[in-house]
Amino acid sequence: MKAAYLKTTALALAMSVATTGIALADKANDTLRVAYTKELENVDSYFNSSREGVVLQRAVWDGLIYRDPITNEYKGNLATSWEWIDDKTLELKLREGVTFHNGDAFDADDVVATVNFVAKEESGVKTQRNVNWMETAEKVDDYTVRIKTKEVFPAAIEFLSGPVSMYPAEYYAEVGPSGMGLKPVGTGPYKVVEVIPGQKFVLEKNENYHDSPKGQPSIGKVEIRTIPDVNTQIAELFSGSLDLIWQVPADQAEKLAAMGDQFVVTNESTMRVGYLSMDAAGRSSMDPNPFQDIKVRQAVNYAIDRNALVDNLLKGKSKVVWTPCFPSQFGCDQNVTEYPYDPAKAKELLAEAGYPDGFETEFYAYRDRDYAEAISSYLNAVGIKTDFKMLQYSALRELNMKGEVPLSFQTWGSYSINDASAMVSQFFKHGSLDTTRDDQVLEWLDVADQSNDPAKRIEYYSKALTRIADEAYWAPMFSYNTNYVMNTDVEYTPTADEVLRFTTMSWK
Amino acid sequence: MLPFILKRLGLAGLVAFTVSFISFSLLFLSGDPAAALAGETASGEDIEAIRRLYGFDRPMLVQYGEWLFQALRGNFGESYYFKLPVSSLIADRLSVTMTLGVCGITFALLTAVPLGVAAAIRPNSIIDRVALFLSVAGQAMPSFWFGLILIVLFGIKLRWLPPSGASTWQHFIMPTIVLGYYAMPAIMRLTRAGMLEVLNSDYIRTARAKGAGEGRVLFKHALRNAIIPVVSLAAVQMGFMLGGSIVVESIFALHGAGYLAWESIARNDLPTVQALILIFSMFYIIFTFLADVLNAWLDPRMRSS
Amino acid sequence: MALQEPIDPLLEEISGPTPRQILRKRVQGHMGLLFGAGVVLVLLVIAILAPVLAPHDPYLQDLANRMVKPVFMGGTWEHPLGTDHLGRDYLSRLIYGARVSLLIGSVAALISGVIGTAMGVAAGYFGGRVDAVVTFLINVRLAMPVVLVALAVVAILGGSLQVVIAVLGLLLWDRFAVVMRASTLQVRRREYVSAAQAIGASTPRVILSEIMPNIVNNLIVIVTLEMAHAILLEAALSFLGLGVQPPTPSWGLMVSEGKNMMLFEPWLVLIPGVVLFVLVLAINLMGDGLRDVTAPDSRS
Repeated sequence: MKAAYLKTTALALAMSVATTGIALADKANDTLRVAYTKELENVDSYFNSSREGVVLQRAVWDGLIYRDPITNEYKGNLATSWEWIDDKTLELKLREGVTFHNGDAFDADDVVATVNFVAKEESGVKTQRNVNWMETAEKVDDYTVRIKTKEVFPAAIEFLSGPVSMYPAEYYAEVGPSGMGLKPVGTGPYKVVEVIPGQKFVLEKNENYHDSPKGQPSIGKVEIRTIPDVNTQIAELFSGSLDLIWQVPADQAEKLAAMGDQFVVTNESTMRVGYLSMDAAGRSSMDPNPFQDIKVRQAVNYAIDRNALVDNLLKGKSKVVWTPCFPSQFGCDQNVTEYPYDPAKAKELLAEAGYPDGFETEFYAYRDRDYAEAISSYLNAVGIKTDFKMLQYSALRELNMKGEVPLSFQTWGSYSINDASAMVSQFFKHGSLDTTRDDQVLEWLDVADQSNDPAKRIEYYSKALTRIADEAYWAPMFSYNTNYVMNTDVEYTPTADEVLRFTTMSWK
Repeated sequence: MLPFILKRLGLAGLVAFTVSFISFSLLFLSGDPAAALAGETASGEDIEAIRRLYGFDRPMLVQYGEWLFQALRGNFGESYYFKLPVSSLIADRLSVTMTLGVCGITFALLTAVPLGVAAAIRPNSIIDRVALFLSVAGQAMPSFWFGLILIVLFGIKLRWLPPSGASTWQHFIMPTIVLGYYAMPAIMRLTRAGMLEVLNSDYIRTARAKGAGEGRVLFKHALRNAIIPVVSLAAVQMGFMLGGSIVVESIFALHGAGYLAWESIARNDLPTVQALILIFSMFYIIFTFLADVLNAWLDPRMRSS
Repeated sequence: MALQEPIDPLLEEISGPTPRQILRKRVQGHMGLLFGAGVVLVLLVIAILAPVLAPHDPYLQDLANRMVKPVFMGGTWEHPLGTDHLGRDYLSRLIYGARVSLLIGSVAALISGVIGTAMGVAAGYFGGRVDAVVTFLINVRLAMPVVLVALAVVAILGGSLQVVIAVLGLLLWDRFAVVMRASTLQVRRREYVSAAQAIGASTPRVILSEIMPNIVNNLIVIVTLEMAHAILLEAALSFLGLGVQPPTPSWGLMVSEGKNMMLFEPWLVLIPGVVLFVLVLAINLMGDGLRDVTAPDSRS
């Protein structure tokens, strides 16, 4: 009875959509219309820290190297070959005949200028970890460069195929990051023809795109609009004014999939890991600070039913995660202490820690309000009363840097870098975002980050991860998945790294 | 007339100044953003240096003075989030909000004034009752909810109107209704009360007695007199409306100044928020000033008060 | 907006039934007032008896039973109005939500009433400089965009019930001040006020025993209207995510949370929206009704 009713209402809606007719995709104009949820602060990929920025970065610029998202094989992009000439020097041969969108030719000077600019701390690149492993770059000849790393840095190839993209030297020197943000110029498969900050980006196929492993772009124009509300995005998908939406929450994606052959709904896992960060270092103004007590941190870990969250809220290809890194990342040892759901034990631990009646704490989050709310319900149930505060990412990050956040639900997508260092080393090496400040962990991570010996790296990451889990510094929760919903005109197979690749999209 | 205008202008300036001071001190309470500007690897010394560089270490009054001085020259500083001048950021978005405000108040006037007049001509008639009901119900309807219902109904089920965005005039229909209906009840009540008062006055009785046609009495004599306070109310409502466009813009994904304000608050982008509070208050101040002047021009008695 | 001259009580007494009788008759004949007061009373009782009436704990999360349909859409009586996105009983949250709305509405109206009345009466009674200052402050307050300032303050201080109430209370006193000032101006010129002043009654005494009783009718009307205003504003703030914070069941927040599934489960938005509409409508009708029965000529 109930099920039948459900079905009829879903059908009724589907019918109402179907009968009034979906406006055809803008296939006729060769324009793919995509929605972003978040206002991107700056298109310059070194000066934003969001997923939306990564997507644009991969479309507009190229890195020296490219990692095939399916085979994970490294291929030459702006560089054709590379080799370590000593522990800290990588020599790369550059591709000849590549031009930037503004007509400038690409050569060693561009690489040297880009690397030397972004590696400088004063330049203020937003995610320092992406670039601060580089010392300098030197030109050997017009098409040969050497990049020197500060320490031994085995993940260099991975980073060079990820966040480090090449900018035109003269143009960048002239306009700087804010100019680049307004009129981006790269070598990538798409060039930017229009930027309205925070609202709209229009990309156009780069007809002169070099013979890159990214492949040749097929769709002529991509129009990206910022539509913050998922509902509105779905409404526009219904009315045919959008062709593709992504990061669609599980509930809506399920309903859309149930509508039959109207839309193609694809679910892919991502490297993004959701976690609770606790002020174990005691930086916040809470006094006494319960999170300095390991028993409290363990209680938090036991209090939450991660399986229920994954099964009912995240769904799709999400998994419960116990480490501050994504299982596929190199060095992300999964053999660590787990804290299964046990509210009684959590209460017991709280009592032992001297909080038999629980305590009150601020609880911050910046996305997925419903997940955060569900988590806070679990915490409330064992006596940890949460004063819930939802901020935007930039505002929460700011508070985090100041060390004013006792407890927060956060996520990290590792910039799709398939190496544990992209996450665990980002947060546990005493930077301003490190809420734990454990010297032992720092020491081990330093060894792992700077070794060229894979076995040694695995060993030391494992040590660090084990200690982090034993000390319950964080409460890692789950990995994310992304739902891509497109209308039936669009041909695209999403990859497991949460990056939309316009280059591999085409019309059916 | 001139002394009146000058006096009002002076008062308006003083109000604007006070509002700017209050909003500056409110936001000042939220602390300084040096740590964020310094970046994630910055040490305590770096943050201190940035604090000095940007002048966050100076007394509040000094910072306010500087901000005001720059603001008067149209320079509202740089957005912390976009790293672009706030003035250009806002200028970009103001046109959407202004369009919406003008459409909203036009819609409110076009519906409320005829209803109010009709209600006044036949007090206690069906029209009067319906108008009264509409005005009471209108005031009770949460605009965010009304907007969502419209989207589901006209945007999704019936597909008559685009659900969001601002690219064509059709996009503005639903936001206009949602923004405008809230101003309707007050305008309607005032039109009705004004009309009733004028219609019962000796002046109209005389006009009728002289044999003037009913239409002429209504529109030439009555409405003209009753409309004066309505115009000034509409001006004031317009000021309120622009301030209230936050909700409407966020629902319909209109990238206007209100939406920018909401996002900027959540992003802790203080320079933008400060500038927007000032600009929205200026709208109100300018519109009330215009309403005052208009009133005084139409009705010389008011100049003395 | 011209205010109605208060009726002279003496005249009424000579010419017919006692004022009390007249009032009763008017109240009984006023459908809007009866309906409004009735609904408000019922919601008040529901809010007070929430723990008894609510079938479930409004905070109890059940992730396995999310967004269960209400009974009239094929659900069961276990959850008469269904469950929300975290599997919490919708009816129970609505019932507890009445507490939040009424509490915020009444306390905010109380705070702003005290501030606004004090300012308005002072301005009207003393006139001159006091009046000039109060009028200026009213102008300043009106010039500040309420929603924007409230959002900014809540963002800075954090959204808790107390903060939201305080912010609304401190922002919504303008109408009190305007109306109380005008009413006081009218009453001040009456003979009994001059008489009291002449026999040497102190200023507080004149205000409390001669002025206040004669403007209290207007005050009650404004209190109800501002209460409705505060409730709507709280809902809007919560809807924008910067009002009352989860898991507190606020109707505005419920609309906001239901919004995500609006296209597929519209009842999640409809139910709290309708309840909010009914409460505000009832309070407004009550306020309008009170105005009608206490100032009888206003709608003739």
